[in-house]
Amino acid sequence: MDWSLFWLFAQQGLASGIVVGSVYALLALAIVMIFKTSEVPNFAQGEVFMAAGYLALFLFVFQGQPVWLTVAVTLVVSFLAAALFRRGVLRQVALASGSPVNLVIATLGLSYILKGLVRRTGFGDTPRSFPALVGTDSIMIGQASVTRLDLAILAAAVAVMAFVFWLFAYTKVGRAMRAVGMNPKAAQLMGVNLEKIHMLVWGLSGVVSAIAALLISPKILMTADMGSIVTMAFAAAIVGGFSSLPGAVVGGFIIGIVENFVGLFISSRAIAVAPFAAIMLVLIIRPQGLFGGKFAIKKV
Amino acid sequence: MTMTRRLFSTVAFGLAATVSGAALAQEPGLTRTSIKIGMFAPLSGANMAYGFDVANAAKMYFDKINKDGGIHGRKIEVVLEDDRCNANDLVAAVKKLVEQDQVFLLNGGSCSAAVVAAKEYVVRNKMPLVMLNASGDGALYPPTDYIFGAFSISQYAVGGAIVDFAAKNLGAKKIAYINHDDAYGAWNLEASKVDAEQLKVELAVESVAPAINDVTAPFLKLRAANPDALVIVTYARPAALIIKKAHEMGFTKPIILSVTGTASLSQLADNVGGKDALKNFYIQDVLADLPGGPKIKWVYDMYKAAYPDLAAKPDHPQTYMPYGIPSAMAIAKALEAAGPEPTREKFLAAMKKTNFDSGVMAGPVVFSETERAANKATIFIKYDGTNKSLVPGVYTSRWKYKG
Repeated sequence: MDWSLFWLFAQQGLASGIVVGSVYALLALAIVMIFKTSEVPNFAQGEVFMAAGYLALFLFVFQGQPVWLTVAVTLVVSFLAAALFRRGVLRQVALASGSPVNLVIATLGLSYILKGLVRRTGFGDTPRSFPALVGTDSIMIGQASVTRLDLAILAAAVAVMAFVFWLFAYTKVGRAMRAVGMNPKAAQLMGVNLEKIHMLVWGLSGVVSAIAALLISPKILMTADMGSIVTMAFAAAIVGGFSSLPGAVVGGFIIGIVENFVGLFISSRAIAVAPFAAIMLVLIIRPQGLFGGKFAIKKV
Repeated sequence: MTMTRRLFSTVAFGLAATVSGAALAQEPGLTRTSIKIGMFAPLSGANMAYGFDVANAAKMYFDKINKDGGIHGRKIEVVLEDDRCNANDLVAAVKKLVEQDQVFLLNGGSCSAAVVAAKEYVVRNKMPLVMLNASGDGALYPPTDYIFGAFSISQYAVGGAIVDFAAKNLGAKKIAYINHDDAYGAWNLEASKVDAEQLKVELAVESVAPAINDVTAPFLKLRAANPDALVIVTYARPAALIIKKAHEMGFTKPIILSVTGTASLSQLADNVGGKDALKNFYIQDVLADLPGGPKIKWVYDMYKAAYPDLAAKPDHPQTYMPYGIPSAMAIAKALEAAGPEPTREKFLAAMKKTNFDSGVMAGPVVFSETERAANKATIFIKYDGTNKSLVPGVYTSRWKYKG
């Protein structure tokens, strides 16, 4: 490979990696948000993302609703569905057994239900395109070609991430969320309504997933299996340190860029394994993840 | 003497009837008036588009046979099961049809990976399996005595024929080639390489996972090879992503998509962002004519008459519907050839000699002692996002199974 080609590949890989990585980052953020407050990895995150995408597709394409209404309804329904799942299912499972394994299985159940529901509609039979709300004409940044849609995805993803950080860092409800994550009993003693916070976190995670779906669906095409993209988000969360919100974001960008670089400089066949190689590398060098902090024995 | 002769004749006839009756009794799914065929296809689920109407087409052809008097006086009874294009469901359906429904032969499979999973069971039970429209290369090579398929086309033939077209019709000397990194992709590529070598064409190959989300890297590498044409031999979603990416990055050379790359051309046009991405675009097909074209209009007319309610729906008949006809035709012809007292052995022997032109597919159905893949020919259609025009000629693969 000559230098000019190397330089072209490097620029394009970086640009494309950042764009797709921003969506991985959003989904990783949604996963980490829940894990931080309830220590449950939500294995239905991908299907929440997928179902939100199909809801938007149904409203916008098949029902001809305006964009603003499509987006508003999708976000509200995603919030309510996720929050009610927490209240109606996870709470009952937790009360019944308290075992985290049962909670994880409940999230797996949700993933199957959502996938089944979308398949029942018939819309998931063939790959479908969610119309891009922004133009897809190309813009050159250096030698890298990106579309206006790519830039819009990146901008929207960064805005959502900034909002989530602001919420967690500077608002009362965000502090309550962090308190629940650190020590639920102490938080409860301080007057925090645990269930309300859990519902809020699940609802927020649903909204973030829905935004990710609205952003990336025009790029990746929709199928009932599109939730498998969450594998990348889990990889991003692990690389970032599973309980760190900034870690999830950085991990998302790393996975996006690594995927592209591996495809360009090693082999297209290796793209699928690149995120897992990144996980292994990070776990060997820094087992707690890049932003995971030091290992600590948890007090019980 | 006459009495003795009469008595002898009566006894002989009785014995013959008893023996043949016993033979028939030993053949499951066969009576004096009926032949039970176990059909399976994806009737629900994500892959329904691959087989629901294919099964309907086969059923309507069997109905036509029945209306015309059946085969040697026997009417065909179809027992239909849903395999969802899923290996577990398909094997369960096959076992039910064989063990519970006691069918004479199996006619099913629209998805290769799923139908290949039934190979071991079918061969062990010496059960004739005539696939519907699955390529099923994994069950056809190496050949067994019991499984026949690729009535649509084999994946080897898909790969070889598409290179044949790019080289012969478009004059490509260097082809950018993208396939999957699974068994399908390997079969496609193996035959593509054979054709490329014989046609003295250079292939720049990128193999990707079917679940790929970002095709920037493989596309950029293919474009860097400065090809004369881009050949895409993938499933629908990656294919649309690659065509879209090619358009975004200003790629203007011919793009040729394999028959596996879409089940709906109008959906493809939507998925790639509109007509502009299809300015220099060709799609491979395995029918004898454009879908709905004069040569195969009778199939669509037959479908409308058989399923008026379905035909009134916007997505029907599904793209692959006509593929069910040659499979049903082959069964009917082999049953006919097996004679009035058919057995599974006789049916299988007749299948191995089957050689006819269905008039539906681009090439004839030709089986032999060593060949179990029916169709090896393809046509190509130029599609600009609205209009389809047939490119003259039939294109085939030079690949041969070497054992």
